[in-house]
Amino acid sequence: MNSLIKLELARALRNRKFLFFSVLYPSILFLIFSSSAGSDDHVDNTGLTVATYLMVSMASFGALTAVLMGNSERIAKERESGWVRQLRLTSLPGRGYVLAKTAGAAVVSLPSIVVVFAVAGAVKHVRLDAWQWLALTGVIWAGSLVFAALGVAIGYLASGDAVRPITMIIYFGLSILGGLWMPSTTFPQWLQDIAEWLPTHAYAALGRAIEQSQAPSTQDIAVLAVYFVLFAGGAAWLYRKDTLKA
Amino acid sequence: MTTTAETATATAVVAFDQVTKSYGNVRAVDGLSLALHPGETVALLGPNGAGKSTTLDLLLGLKHADGGTVSVFGTGPREAIVAGRVGAMLQSGGLMEEVTVAELVRLACDLHPKRFKVQDVMARAGVSQIADRKVNKLSGGQAQRVRFALATAGDSDLIVLDEPTTGMDVSARQAFWATMREQADQGRTVLFATHYLEEADAIADRVLVLHRGRLLADGTAAEIKAKAGARSVRFDLDGAIDEAALGTLPRVTSVDVSGQTVRIQSTDADATVHALYGLGVYPRNLEVAGLGLEQAFVAITEAEEAKQS
Repeated sequence: MNSLIKLELARALRNRKFLFFSVLYPSILFLIFSSSAGSDDHVDNTGLTVATYLMVSMASFGALTAVLMGNSERIAKERESGWVRQLRLTSLPGRGYVLAKTAGAAVVSLPSIVVVFAVAGAVKHVRLDAWQWLALTGVIWAGSLVFAALGVAIGYLASGDAVRPITMIIYFGLSILGGLWMPSTTFPQWLQDIAEWLPTHAYAALGRAIEQSQAPSTQDIAVLAVYFVLFAGGAAWLYRKDTLKA
Repeated sequence: MTTTAETATATAVVAFDQVTKSYGNVRAVDGLSLALHPGETVALLGPNGAGKSTTLDLLLGLKHADGGTVSVFGTGPREAIVAGRVGAMLQSGGLMEEVTVAELVRLACDLHPKRFKVQDVMARAGVSQIADRKVNKLSGGQAQRVRFALATAGDSDLIVLDEPTTGMDVSARQAFWATMREQADQGRTVLFATHYLEEADAIADRVLVLHRGRLLADGTAAEIKAKAGARSVRFDLDGAIDEAALGTLPRVTSVDVSGQTVRIQSTDADATVHALYGLGVYPRNLEVAGLGLEQAFVAITEAEEAKQS
């Protein structure tokens, strides 16, 4: 299985378009979104500067991009091309394929998180304690597994031409409604009520709690945990269905 | 106590016992029983839709039988694959894209419990020259050779190939079968599906003919060829045509009269035509032609059914 993970990694790191979108794009968006705000501007009710607030949003967004965009489309494509069947003719355990895909995504998501942090620190002078930087990296990286599971589920659910639009709708829907692009406090109340229950909202909220040196809210942790169970369970169920059908 | 059947299953490379597989109302495989023995090179021959691919999928554990049992080296297909005893090449099986041929072959070798050296596998499959090429930039024939490399990445005892020469030109086909024969000469059991009778004839020690999911014939290529060697005889007759008399001609399997045109299928056209003149008729525009494999299968089926009724 390690050899498949290694090969998936080599391929991910070779794909310049994918690397640009998942590693550099979030940092560029961070600079654009934070450019209008002064360094003393604060986001309402958070006590965080705009740059600090956006840093978590964009690091989360970058991790989401890395784990969701690559996998769903590739799994759908490789299921259709017959590569998944070919792998079933090897000694690779059934879950190996999905695990390798997830591991490949996780390795790309880590630099996308770190690059946003580096840009925020260097250009926008975001300052946090050492433990906060470490905790942020760990939480955002680990939390991205929720969306990696979602990517796998979409890859087994959709096929052919449908997979890209479906992924795009979910990706932008989750990013924007979850408040990764602009604070969800700017939404009308009814939309805020919905946003609060989205996994991306809970995901970014965990990061922000660390920036505020606060304990994360139990609701956010519960929301993420429930989504993880849903997505991972769904992915496992769809995977098994696909295996029996193939 | 061991029964004879159990002993046969234990020594057989592959054993199907009353295997059925349906898709909706269509029976793709219908009560199929067969056994492959060590060292054989066996062709699975049949027209499109005969159930060849489904049979191979069942053998490889990619599909599960609705009824009956499939055993490979006395175990389930998946166990045999995990033990590294089976190497397989699927029809237009997909390949991982955006990696090089060498990387993909290395992956296949790494995943094989009894792996060969990457360089050797590539050399044998004839892909050393394209080792650094990206998999998604290959021609159809090159991709087939890469699939063959994946199927032979380790010391498997059984090699399964589903229509391996699809998309190859004549010379590539010849080169491919030469490589294949090396595999067989090393004592491996080889099973390949094809719809070319000539290919089965040239390569296989034994030919299994599949039609509508059933085993229609099992024998050497020469035997099958004789069986499938049906020909069609076509001619015109003036006046009233005595269809019953035509049906009594030797070796005739079917008679079809439309207007003044008669079409006869015969397993020995020479004998049929010779006797035709004995009926005292004067056939005009006489044509004798070989049947395509598909028609030949139908001819054999009808002959078998006639024998049973």
